[in-house]
Amino acid sequence: MSIVRFLIKRFFYTILVLVGVSIIAFSLMRLAPGNPAKLMLADNATAEQIAATEVSMGLDKPLVEQYLIYINNAVHGDLGKSLFYKRPNSELIFGRLPATALLTLAAVLISLAISFPLGIMAGIKKGTTVDFVAMLFALFGQSMSQVWFGLLLILGFGVALGWLPTQGYGEFKNIILPAITLGLPLSALVTRMLRSGMYEVLQEDYIIATFAKGTNRMKIYMKYALKNAILPVVTIIGMMTGQLLAGAIIVEQVFGWPGLGSLTVQAISLRDFPLIQSILLVSAAIFVGINLLVDILYTFIDPRMKLN
Amino acid sequence: MKKEEIFRRMLKSKFFIIGFIMVSVIIVISIIAPYIIVHDPQKTMLKLRLVAPEYFSKGWMGHIFGTDPLGQDVLTRLLIGSRVSLLIALVGVTIPCIIGTALGVIAGYYGGVVDSIVMRFNDIQLSIPAMVLAITVMAIFGNSVPNLMMVLIIVGWVNYTRVVRGIVMSIRDGEFVQASRALGASNLRIMLTQILPYITAPLIILMSQQVGIVILTEANMSFLGMGVPLPAPSWGSMIASGREYITIAPWTVIAPGFALMLTVLGFNFLGDGIRDVLDPRSKD
Repeated sequence: MSIVRFLIKRFFYTILVLVGVSIIAFSLMRLAPGNPAKLMLADNATAEQIAATEVSMGLDKPLVEQYLIYINNAVHGDLGKSLFYKRPNSELIFGRLPATALLTLAAVLISLAISFPLGIMAGIKKGTTVDFVAMLFALFGQSMSQVWFGLLLILGFGVALGWLPTQGYGEFKNIILPAITLGLPLSALVTRMLRSGMYEVLQEDYIIATFAKGTNRMKIYMKYALKNAILPVVTIIGMMTGQLLAGAIIVEQVFGWPGLGSLTVQAISLRDFPLIQSILLVSAAIFVGINLLVDILYTFIDPRMKLN
Repeated sequence: MKKEEIFRRMLKSKFFIIGFIMVSVIIVISIIAPYIIVHDPQKTMLKLRLVAPEYFSKGWMGHIFGTDPLGQDVLTRLLIGSRVSLLIALVGVTIPCIIGTALGVIAGYYGGVVDSIVMRFNDIQLSIPAMVLAITVMAIFGNSVPNLMMVLIIVGWVNYTRVVRGIVMSIRDGEFVQASRALGASNLRIMLTQILPYITAPLIILMSQQVGIVILTEANMSFLGMGVPLPAPSWGSMIASGREYITIAPWTVIAPGFALMLTVLGFNFLGDGIRDVLDPRSKD
């Protein structure tokens, strides 16, 4: 299969997945309790007002038609209106998105800065102290609740030492603690994968042969071994980056970070279903978008993709 | 693999032994919890709010890990909370495993259209961040333990389907399957007698790794107030209720988080140990 055909197929799947997500989001909202038209109006609205709103919102039409209208609007950038804020959902979501994107980016960078050296060293020097530290870090990182880890950081660096602010947004120092917290599971996972990946590649005959030839060790590690060990890691980073929004819900709540995660929690606690529906759709679109990018990136870094 | 060989490997794996001991202790604690507690886990005693940990200065009758903002004994709630965590983990791992495996076997075995349908559902589900979907469903159907279990089943099955399907696809044309088919075995019989035994080891490994994830998901949802409804104790909601008081009463947050970490760590050790035992070649 050529790369072009692979990408076209991949793109087609992406669209298919998004249609599926939109159907799920649409159906979930029909299951939600309460009449949407009634929720839109004040408590003392008359029956006629409710009926009029129902017509203007298109609730009197058949479900399939309602869905098609909804999709048509969504494609044109209209994601409906929030019940609580009385403002367009797209405006609310894209207003909050930069804060979450910034936090996610910082979390990925911090995770990679920790996990790459740690995982690679551990894989090269298996059975040493570095390896033990890396394993311990990976195990604890996977076992700690992010809520708790975040609160411990607040307690340690915010309250006891007073070095960093525990809440707030805008300055560089504000992002450090939330980014470390959000990146914790990713750093644990990547450390683990790089450790075992490096170790396994270094056992291969062709690597041992290169050692025997007397090639510079650093060159073998970085050029030959890492190139192979890094492939599964790229996929995982892509998947986890898309999933970081799920983590951001927790982390933003702990640190009072004004992003999409805290908007989600607000929408949920206010039972603002139109807003939740849009968040569901947008976060899925971001996830599949990132994964599509990773797949494209993959075709460039994995030589096997070109040969086939 | 022979039983003696499995047993020998269990004793050889440090992860397995440490994990096995930790998990056993936690399970025993959750079973005997109602018989050893001396305080009411749900009764609020505002006069006794935020009492600092007394450790064992008053023996078993004191507030060993202090009290929370409602005057409830922290240790008592920790002990009772372990039951909720483990029960939810049990349901949240086994049922998705059964559903996911069944779908994975069917998709991998038949391939074609069936496979495409199952896998596209899988992709759709995976593209919605699990936590967003989980709290949305909870918001629609309301907070309760059965609903929480339903949510964990909805978000959990995908993990198994993908893995099982991959393995089944690689073995469905194997000689032993063909032999079975030549002898006139039905598809159902082949799936149950030839394919299922082949995927048990990877499934056990996957399940043991999922336990920790499910327990943490439950805690996160309860932290957001979208999990186990109050006043029933859950480690996640205990962290949430102590959060505001973290500077004056850090024990209200540290204790439940620590319990959560030890439990998940125990299951993760056990998971790594089981992998060492069943699949010694794989290192990750």
